[in-house]
Amino acid sequence: MAIHMNRRTMLALAAAGAVSLATPLAAQDTALRLAFIPQENPEKLLGDIEAISGWLASEIGVPVEGFVTIDHAAAVEALRNGDADISFMGALPFVLAEAEIGAVPLLSEVYRDAPSYTGRIFVRRDSGIGALADLRGRDIAFADPISESGYLYPLAEFVEARLIDGPGAAEAFFGRVFFAGGYQQAMQAMAEGLVDAAGASQYADLLLTPQQQAQVTWIAESPPIPSHVVIARPGLDAEVQDRFTNAMLRLNEPENRDKLRYLYGPDGYVRADPAAYDGVRDMARRYGLLE
Amino acid sequence: MIQKFLGAFIVALASALVLSGPVAATPAKEAPWLPEAAAYRLTLFLGNLEPLPWDDVGTAWAEPYRGSEFSVGALAWLDGNSDIGPAPLLDAITREDRQAVFAEATRLIARRIDEELDRAVMADDPARAQQAVRTARELYRSFADGIAAADPDASRRIGLAWLELNSSTGSAGVLGAGATPASRKTMEAAREVISLYLAENYLVDDFAPRRTLSALPETVVLSGRTIEVPPSLPPGSDIFDQDPLPRLVLNFEEQGIDETDLPLVAYGDMLFDSAQIFGNPAQGLGVACSTCHNRSDVNQRLFIPGASHQPGAIDVDGAFFNPIFNDRRDDPIDIPSLRGLRFTGPYGRDGRFASLRDFTRNVIVNEFGGDEPTPFMLDALLAYMLEFDFLPNSMLTPDGQLTEAAPEAAQRGEAIFNTPFAALGDRSCSSCHVPDTNFLDRQAHDIGSVALAYDGARTGAMDTPTLLGTVYTAPYFHDGSLPTLAAVVDWFDESKSLGLTGAERADLTAYLETVGAADEPYEAFDAENTAFRLAFSELTTFASTLDTLLPQRDAKHILLLTDTVAADLSADASTMSNLAARPEVYALAQRLAEVGDAVRTDDWVAAETSWTAFKSEADAIEERAF
Repeated sequence: MAIHMNRRTMLALAAAGAVSLATPLAAQDTALRLAFIPQENPEKLLGDIEAISGWLASEIGVPVEGFVTIDHAAAVEALRNGDADISFMGALPFVLAEAEIGAVPLLSEVYRDAPSYTGRIFVRRDSGIGALADLRGRDIAFADPISESGYLYPLAEFVEARLIDGPGAAEAFFGRVFFAGGYQQAMQAMAEGLVDAAGASQYADLLLTPQQQAQVTWIAESPPIPSHVVIARPGLDAEVQDRFTNAMLRLNEPENRDKLRYLYGPDGYVRADPAAYDGVRDMARRYGLLE
Repeated sequence: MIQKFLGAFIVALASALVLSGPVAATPAKEAPWLPEAAAYRLTLFLGNLEPLPWDDVGTAWAEPYRGSEFSVGALAWLDGNSDIGPAPLLDAITREDRQAVFAEATRLIARRIDEELDRAVMADDPARAQQAVRTARELYRSFADGIAAADPDASRRIGLAWLELNSSTGSAGVLGAGATPASRKTMEAAREVISLYLAENYLVDDFAPRRTLSALPETVVLSGRTIEVPPSLPPGSDIFDQDPLPRLVLNFEEQGIDETDLPLVAYGDMLFDSAQIFGNPAQGLGVACSTCHNRSDVNQRLFIPGASHQPGAIDVDGAFFNPIFNDRRDDPIDIPSLRGLRFTGPYGRDGRFASLRDFTRNVIVNEFGGDEPTPFMLDALLAYMLEFDFLPNSMLTPDGQLTEAAPEAAQRGEAIFNTPFAALGDRSCSSCHVPDTNFLDRQAHDIGSVALAYDGARTGAMDTPTLLGTVYTAPYFHDGSLPTLAAVVDWFDESKSLGLTGAERADLTAYLETVGAADEPYEAFDAENTAFRLAFSELTTFASTLDTLLPQRDAKHILLLTDTVAADLSADASTMSNLAARPEVYALAQRLAEVGDAVRTDDWVAAETSWTAFKSEADAIEERAF
């Protein structure tokens, strides 16, 4: 989606005009800065950010600003540079950010009652493919190389099945390996017959048309993957962290649930359990992304 | 037809779906269109209407499309994001030169794709390259259905090129971890595949004259081959169900009679939800009676650019649905409710059909281009629709008097409602909206709400509408020109010089809002009593008519049923909360399709066997059908 902006497009938000009912925090006399990563139309995201930032400002008692970064890497850099205090990202980028800059997990997203999901290998029902081994020499599309459910975890199923020696040996097993750019693009490529399989989130078939959904199935599923996470830069004032976290948890309350759609649309949030990400850390090490 | 949006997870992610056929009972939520791609698709759609709405074509480029997530229209977007000037296109629009508009708009989109591909190849980091590829691909969506329909090999070749292109942009990783370099050579080769096809088909200097505007590639048009592009609706269209979903009140159901014991009614219920009884484009788009009149109520969100002037309104005798029935008048009407249908004749906003049967046939054959319905189909549709009852309202007695539950203001308003006014020829509101005949008089009156079509015309008479349930059917009047019941009161007070005080107007409004209220206007859902469960129950009830039709060896009506219900059941599974049970529903839909397959080959034993299996499996999975 074309939106021409600097590496960081700052959006001055409603915070300046927000009437705060919360007690102002002496420790945070400047605005709390949130970095968002676009999953779809960045312009819509700007509107969403404006809506949620105003609410957060009134709940936390400090001004809140949000801005859109071009990708995960830029968001992590913003945390490292102190340009951002908080960011929203996947489990894999988080563990990398944790290792590199000491990022702190605050909250985990909840989907369908769980702070976790899985990755699956999807195929067309009429493909005759019933097992991972059937994909030898066939083409597969993944979402993105820095995606836990859209690459690392689905690929690990092939390692687990002893079809691939390790993460670097995928090309030797498959015909072609593509990175389609996202769940939807990978699933569409599979559904249209451009590739034989797609590795994506367990919910990714819902991105197809209802007719296409009936035409696809899945043949392997990863262990649970911790869901996307809200993280803080190291050194962010503890009281600010608490206030932010508590405010975000109030999004679970019935009267606030409508605001979740401004934040990538999870069903809710729970406090992040750092140990829940051990599996992702192990996975990142296996792929050579972490030492 | 029960549909709902997919869950929040899905809404958060964009899917590049086009609202198009084949038969789609459950329309997919559409991914947002880029502004210039939306304007292009709107131009193709509007350019096929007769007379061509040139103002709307201009608006399509100047303003964001209805429901757009972008705050600016295509022209402003191009100004900020592209070096390609729109002057030739704007000149063609000004000249109202249809062919030139098509050519200029097509070339503009093709150039935009090339511009973004240039940016992708030149980008100095993977994130920017991927962003440009994504944009180019979203612009390519403007042409994708035309290429897929006409040139499947090219569609596949280009699809692989997009995959190749995105894969070869590399990855920035995170702070260097997981970074992979771009492969310029592969990017350029993939880009070449796309750009060459664009040059041959969408960047040509002179396009062959187009009778129908479409995204078909020029080389295919020149070949003279006849290609059917699946019908699609333009950006800004909305054919989703109402939210919240209105409650359906069926007379037999309120009396505790099971619909499966009323096969004619159940078959009519199925036909009401079936796009198969219409012709294309309605059939291909999945448009059925229930698209506009879902749950016997009004679909207030329905909107099709060029055919609707506002949500909840549609011009069914325009150029889109059945060109032979095009009256060449831009006269969309506010969709009427069908509640209490057996009491609300004559039919049509102007009461032009005394017979509901004649009205229904006209809808099927003339308005939506369907084949002539059989007598059985009309009997069934009428049997079903005549069961539609008004919403119960405890503030109103059966003969239209207020009960003690009605607010005081409404009691005062009732007196005004029954007061004769000299300005109304000594008639009162209740003279036409007769309380003890469901607030209507079954006559057409010219109250001055219709602009006369020509000097001396006597065409302003409209059928008196009921006031029951009207709290939930805004806006009001035949053209939906009045947004609230208060506005209706104001209109009468002012246009008829009734001389009501502000307090009297408020009381009269309170009365209308009381008469038009309902105890339970909407369906109540929870975690397990979901919209899908309701759909599942409806669809299996429809199928129950096979118990009647199979012994009769009525192949025509069986196939109409199996084709409709199998497709709907499968499509509606995408709305299930219980995702784990989806495969079972797909298998059940397949069972029903097998009944149809067997009937097509005249194998009645196999048809009976599949039907028996369907019933058994439907019972087995009912608890998990949510």
